[in-house]
Amino acid sequence: MPRLPVITGLGFITSIGNDRASVLRSLRELRHGFEPRTFFQNPALAVKVAGTVKGFSFPTPNWRDWRWPESVQVDRELVRGLAPHGVYALGAVQQALAEAGLTAADLAGGDTGLFCASAGSPFLLGAFLDQMRTTRGERGNPMGIVSSIAGTLNFNLAAHYKISGAVCGFVSACASSSHALGYAMDEIRLGRQRRMLVVGAEDMCDESILPFATLRALSNQADPNQASRPFDRRRDGFVGTGGAVALIVEEAGFARSRGARVQAELVGWGQAGDGHSVAASHPEGAGLAEAMRRALDDAGVPAGQIDYVNAHATSTPAGDRSEALALHRVFTHTGAHPKVSSTKALTGHGLSLAGAMEAAFCTLALSEGLIPGAAHLVEPDPVCEGLDLPRHTLALQPGLVMNNSSGFGGSNVCHVLRRAGP
Amino acid sequence: MTSEPSSSSGPSSSPVNPLERIRHFPDDVRASFVRYQTTGDVAALDPVIYAILNDYIPNKPEQPLSSFPGSTLLIEGLGFDSLAITEVVFFTEELLGITIANEEILQVRTLDDLRGFVHAKAPGRKPV
Repeated sequence: MPRLPVITGLGFITSIGNDRASVLRSLRELRHGFEPRTFFQNPALAVKVAGTVKGFSFPTPNWRDWRWPESVQVDRELVRGLAPHGVYALGAVQQALAEAGLTAADLAGGDTGLFCASAGSPFLLGAFLDQMRTTRGERGNPMGIVSSIAGTLNFNLAAHYKISGAVCGFVSACASSSHALGYAMDEIRLGRQRRMLVVGAEDMCDESILPFATLRALSNQADPNQASRPFDRRRDGFVGTGGAVALIVEEAGFARSRGARVQAELVGWGQAGDGHSVAASHPEGAGLAEAMRRALDDAGVPAGQIDYVNAHATSTPAGDRSEALALHRVFTHTGAHPKVSSTKALTGHGLSLAGAMEAAFCTLALSEGLIPGAAHLVEPDPVCEGLDLPRHTLALQPGLVMNNSSGFGGSNVCHVLRRAGP
Repeated sequence: MTSEPSSSSGPSSSPVNPLERIRHFPDDVRASFVRYQTTGDVAALDPVIYAILNDYIPNKPEQPLSSFPGSTLLIEGLGFDSLAITEVVFFTEELLGITIANEEILQVRTLDDLRGFVHAKAPGRKPV
């Protein structure tokens, strides 16, 4: 019998809540996590909203100035090598372990692997390089590299939790943590690991978000209630966010043998490239459609059985349009009509964090019996005609859901999750 | 003649007040550093050295570091690893405005070695 990866624990540090209960409430009540923000202390900038992570503060690159909630346990010895998103990640992992009935010690040894995704910390990398430039290369913080480059998450978490299974970081921009989760599924299915810790995270800092304004990809809406509105005709870009989400993925038999509660089954995943542009999505959503088909094939599930799609839609004019066309190709044109929403309307776009965060939302949908609504959707783009975009969260029990992610370079990743069997 | 300690005798990555760098140290340690700044007496840096070590030691001992014999080895005796030592070196460089070469680090093996090295390297009045 093939090995089945299942999800037994979730942890959330997000703009819409720093624990499962508050995230669930935000999804049910469609509460967003946006606040006004003056990027780089410049009120003249057009970008004025961010998906802030509450209870954390990183005012300078010096960790001694950082603050986090008391519920997050961070040793001084550890924080020196962390980026802000590493602090978020510790909070998320601690929650996920507790939910899965595990301790930190359970991650040590070779049974558990760790796949992570973040873009690194532009905030800390910039400060580190400034320091080196100022001293003309003569001096730099010894922790400057490990705290800032892409991979900082896996460097720190693997060492801290003494993980000796597979350890890797994934870099495919906004599809990164979806890749991490997909390959974690494969580690389980191939029998290489019995448990995988998957973590997606990003800094919630000006340096991580505002650079996207150069691509004209950020919303210029000053009203937090209107800034992120995927699939709406008046959408004008995404709202940036940060945070961390952790998922404990285990082989089903292994999880059940230790009495763990299975929250959802990971039954398939697929990926496909657009082969088109370094930054823009394919105008017809070709790669995303193919990734969805491959995920369905991998799961052995026809499109008509998918009850809900958590769309990647970030609220950019071009990206949402291409995803709508991809959804039509895979679903509408085959007579399938799943509910569709993008929870980025509430959270903002978490970049490398997005895929893991939204897979966790899909897990909540399956385990708690809900279908998140399409928040802030007032006037759907005509291209969405035929898509079922619920305006409110529905108290319905989905059986199968799909999670979509797309990243720079036309990297598309989709997962299929199933309600846990008895 | 007593030379005035200076924070600009080496490359400094930012114009941060040295006292700001040690704002998290206990009051008596900060007072000792002020004494060094005022008088140039490098012996007043000893509590600062112990505070820096205490900041970066991978596993804190039950006894204060100042109670250990001066011959205690930093790596074998106190559990410092190479990464923690680079952090001590970096912090010391930034605080005192000095530059410490790799070859110099390799000569420092014990607590006394470190104290002696900092005394010699820091701008200020050397012990007789």
